[in-house]
Parts: sequence; structure tokens; C-alpha cells
Amino acid sequence: MIKHVDNPVLEVHDLTVSYDRKPVLWDIDLTLPAGKLIGIVGPNGAGKSTLIKSVMGLTPNSSGYVKLFDKDLKQVRDRISYVPQRESVDWDFPASALDVVLMGRYGKLGLFKRPRKADRDIALDSLQKVGMDAYAGRQISQLSGGQQQRVFLARALAQQADLYFMDEPFAGVDAATEKAIIEILREMSAKGNTVIVVHHDLQSVTQYFDWVILLNMRLVGSGPTSEVFTTELLQETYGGKLTLLSDVGDLIRRERFPNREQFDKAQKPK
Amino acid sequence: MDTFFEFFSFADPNIRYVVIGSLLLTASSAIVGSFTFLKKKALVGDAVAHSVLPGVCLSFILYGEKNPIILIFGAFATGWLSLILIDIISSHSKVKEDTAIGLILSVFFGIGIFMLTIIQKSGNAAQTGLDQILFGKAASLVGNDLIAFAVIAAILILSVWFFFKEFTLLAFDEDFASTIGLPVRAIELLLTTLTVLAVVIGIQAVGVVLMAAMLITPAAAARFWTEKISTMVWLAAIFGAFSGLTGAYISYIAPSMPTGPWIVVVISTIAFISFFMAPKRGILYRMNNQRKIRRQINDENILKALYQLGEEEKNFYEKRTIEEILTKRKFDPASLKTGLRRLKREGYLGNESGHWSFTKAGKHKGQRTVKLHRLWELYLTQYLRIAPDHVHDDADTIEHILTPELETRLEKLLDYPTVDPHQSEIPYQ
Repeated sequence: MIKHVDNPVLEVHDLTVSYDRKPVLWDIDLTLPAGKLIGIVGPNGAGKSTLIKSVMGLTPNSSGYVKLFDKDLKQVRDRISYVPQRESVDWDFPASALDVVLMGRYGKLGLFKRPRKADRDIALDSLQKVGMDAYAGRQISQLSGGQQQRVFLARALAQQADLYFMDEPFAGVDAATEKAIIEILREMSAKGNTVIVVHHDLQSVTQYFDWVILLNMRLVGSGPTSEVFTTELLQETYGGKLTLLSDVGDLIRRERFPNREQFDKAQKPK
Repeated sequence: MDTFFEFFSFADPNIRYVVIGSLLLTASSAIVGSFTFLKKKALVGDAVAHSVLPGVCLSFILYGEKNPIILIFGAFATGWLSLILIDIISSHSKVKEDTAIGLILSVFFGIGIFMLTIIQKSGNAAQTGLDQILFGKAASLVGNDLIAFAVIAAILILSVWFFFKEFTLLAFDEDFASTIGLPVRAIELLLTTLTVLAVVIGIQAVGVVLMAAMLITPAAAARFWTEKISTMVWLAAIFGAFSGLTGAYISYIAPSMPTGPWIVVVISTIAFISFFMAPKRGILYRMNNQRKIRRQINDENILKALYQLGEEEKNFYEKRTIEEILTKRKFDPASLKTGLRRLKREGYLGNESGHWSFTKAGKHKGQRTVKLHRLWELYLTQYLRIAPDHVHDDADTIEHILTPELETRLEKLLDYPTVDPHQSEIPYQ
């Protein structure tokens, strides 16, 4: 059950992504509507994070293309925000919570320029939205996991984007933070922003998301939660790994095989 | 002492040059090295430092004499080449990065030493100053050399000034930097170039063997004192400059002495002092903190024992002997005595001819500890379903760490219970 939409905010066309030559995502075709809160769901190693990293240009695509707002990523970067996994950075870094949130303004500032008063205002305002204004001057290693995640969310808010990608924002946070974060995400999507979240807790999916993407090395489903989040499709996503598929992937890596016959010329949009 | 004043009066223009040169070189490499340190690339710095040696020698062999510009070019070329090779080896083969660094470092340094020996055999190494390239000689920072190196030092400092924001973001969160459209590859390239340049000019004062210490140690020492990156970079520069000044002085009083080892000894001493003495991150602070916690636990346990004695006899202000206290809980006799004396000094206990008794504040504190102990036991049995006979040891620790805020939450959660799992009363007032 893969539902396509007109005028998508995100279009993924025949996307294959490999790590060390082994494909971890096979031929993904996907379109997503604007203004929705969207969850990417699937088992460990399904390629959930890889999908958004690939959309953000952080991993090279073996084939296929991605369009955001019907444009190339480069043309619309300032409309898009990406929140990496909390563990992806070393929090023992000499910076305060406010310093990190100010980084959300760097894209708008451009090279050389220092943050202005207006940027500080926006950063403080974003901290306040996530309930962290009292911790603005706190060193980031002193914050709890939930507070660090809120700082990351505040940094994303400070980017004032239209489309947000978040990698596991609920991983390792306390219940109060999870509730606060989902409230903010709902508010954002109510204002017409699109929020795409990598999520691992099946229990809260129907409660949190308007739209669900089911992923396990290939796209199993994409559509409104009520239509896609079904027992049948969940079984297809989680039940029985496609061992043949991953064996072929392993073989490609072992033999140092190219992913496409002409793998240098990734398919380009016409 | 005479030489000391002579040196630090800076009356001799040669001394001035050497001092200015050493300060600039060490400070600028400390500034650039701060980012190498934050990016956790310390070993790469070491590899570059060793890999400039063949470049230095080659430039001399080809040009025939020592010229600072040519030397910089040569050193820069092989320094850069080493980085490219490390990158190629670790990304295109099964060899891991640390192995690649080790390989390249030793191969380049080996070739460098080989060339240096040939130059020395040819007999004119002494007049070229190349014999000082291994361990540095600050006193050679005069004339043309100084101008060339000072210009590069200025370029380094200015580049960091302009790209401070970008370098910081790159060191903290490279993926994010890339998604906001920062030219990550170009900035990375710039930082690498600056690192190589810092090494190239730093070797004059410190020498190739120990140059990595000049990149990394000032930043590592500075990190102990601050949580703010701009302060850290400033501090690193000051630490670096201070060690550079010492190097220059040594070079002045003992001309045959290589300066590199001295500079490194000074900067390492600063790092060791930071390691022990710095607030919050320093070892002494942490040890002191642990001692405070042990004291607090000891004292609260004494108050708890006295409270429990009072509970049994329904008389909290009775005078007790040390033996009576020991019937309630085992204490190390020495720490019991110091604890009692400390509690008296702090106004929690009174003492009359060897008998100890609560003050009002003391009873209140003892009661709170007992209350927290019993609340936690109840919490463990109710919410974690732990058997009542297994909760005591946990509660004995947790009672000392619960804050008033957590205390209130615990009370509310358990709905102000009156007894703990062992039917002991939970005291509120």
C-alpha cells in the first residue's frame, strides 16, 4: 500500500543506497504530502536513518534522485532542517545550550558573519519553546539526555524551515520530554510545516502520526496512518527478514561489485 | 640573574626578534591546534609534523641553501602529501585510519632522516641550520626567516578569526554543518592546510619530532579551565606563547641547547597542573568532591543512628555515649569521632562530658534522613516490586542523594504514606 500524492514536499524516485557497496535501501519510490506529521517506522537495520540521511545528501546515492519542493536539495536548503541522532555528536564540547541553538542560524547567516542580536533573540525564543530557556547558559555536557534532545529541537526551530527531518528524537528521553516534543511537532505541522520523524516505538505510532512510512530495506507502505498501519503490512515489515535480499547484498560487498552496471552515472531527473 | 634581566629587558633587537617570533609561532599553532584537538585528530597532527621533514631536506638539496620561502614550500608539499595518502589508504583499503597514520608517519620520517644524513655528510648542514630541524632552535628566528614565518602566523590567526564559527560547527556536528549548506569539504581542506602551515612554521622553534605537542597540548590544557570555546582558544594561545617565551629564553642562555624539548616540558607542565588543579574537571577537585560526599554520608548516618535511638526510647534529646551510637550502626571509630565533632561545630549536636545530644536542627536533619530512607524503601517495593528484605541497602545510599524537590515528588507519588514496608513509622514533623 504505497500512496502517492500530487505536489509532494518530498519525492524520492527509484532510490538505492549502499554502505560499503552493500545496498541497505532498494529502489525506494515515495511521495509525501505537505503539512503532515510523518513517521518512518521499521525494525533495526531497516534503513530508516539512511533514508533521511540520503535525502539530506549525507550519504551518496547509488541510483535514483530526490526532489524537495520539486527542486534539488541545493536550491532549497534554507527551507529544510535536519536533526541528527543525539548520540551522533560528542556532548562534551565546550559550548552552552544557547551556542548550539545559535548554530541553527548559521545557514541563514552565511560565511564569516557572526550571529546578530536578532539571531540571539530567535535562538532564545526557540529555547523557550522547548522549555529550556532556564538552561540557555548551561554547558551542554551538564544536560540530561532529554534536555540535550530538546536543545537539538530548539536548534531546528531556530532554522525556521518548512520541512523537518528528525532522526530518533524520542530515543533515550524521559516521558515528560517525549510529551513536550510531540506537542511541539504537532504545533509545527498545524502551522503547515512538514515533520518527518524516524521512530522506533510501534505503540505510539497511531497516536503521533498522520502519515506512516513502513520500511525494511525496501518500502513496504506509505500513506495515511489509518490505511497503512495495519496488522498485515506490519507483519510484512517486521516478520521474516528477506534473507535472500540481504544475502545478495552481502555478495555484492564481498565481490566488490558495482551497484549498477554504470554505477558512476546515477540516474538524473530529466 | 644578569642574563635574565638582559633577556627580559628586550633591549637587544635580536632578542626582540627571537621573542616575537617564538610567541607568534607557538601561539598560532596552539590556536589552529585547538580545532585539531576538538576534532580529535591529534594523531594526524603528529603525522604531519613528522612528514614535513623530507620536504624540508628536499628543498635544501634542490635549492642548495636554506631559504625560508623554499623551505616552507617543501615542507608544505610533503606535509600535505602525507595527509592525502592517509586519506586514500584508509578510505580505499582495509587498513584502518590509525594504522595508515602510523605507516605514513614512519615512512615519511624515515625518508626525511635518510635525506638529513646525506646533507649532514655533505658537510654544510651546520651553516644551513638544518641540523636544528629535528629539535628546534628558537634563536635562529631572525632576519628573513622571521618575516616569512610571521606572515604565515598572521595568516593562521586571521583565518581562524574569520572562520571561527565554521570551524566550531564542523568540530561539533559535521553532518548538520553539511545539511545547512556549509561547504564542509572546502572548510575541512582549509583547516587541514592551516594545520600543515602551523607545523611548517612551528618546526623552526620546536622541531619536527615534538611539533605535535605544540598543536595539541595547549588546547588540551586549556580545555580543563573553561567550557567556552573562545576562552579555550585564547587560553591555548596564552599557554602556547608562554612556553614559546621560555624556549626563546633557554635558547638565549644556552645557545647549544635545542629549544623544542624545553618548550614541550613547559607546556606539558602547564597541562599537568591543569589536569590536577583545574576547577570541576581537575583531579583534585574531583577527589575533594568525593571526600565531601563521604563526609556527608558519614555525618548523616550518625544523625540517623541518634534519631533511631531516640525513636526507640521516645526521647530524642537524651544524651548518648559513643557506645550507644555504635549499637545502632557500625562506624569506623575515627570517622565517627571526627564526624561527631564536625556535627557539633556545625550546630547539629551538643556535647557534655562525652555525651552527645541532638540540637533542634540536628534532630530535624536526622529525621529527614530516616524519612527519605523509608520513603525510598516503600517506593522500591511498590513501584519496582522488589522484596522488602532487599530494599534496605539501596535506601541506605539513596537517602543521601535525594534533593528536596525529589523528596516532594516522592511524597506525592506515594501519597504521604505513614509506614514503610517494615511497618516502621515514616516521620514527617
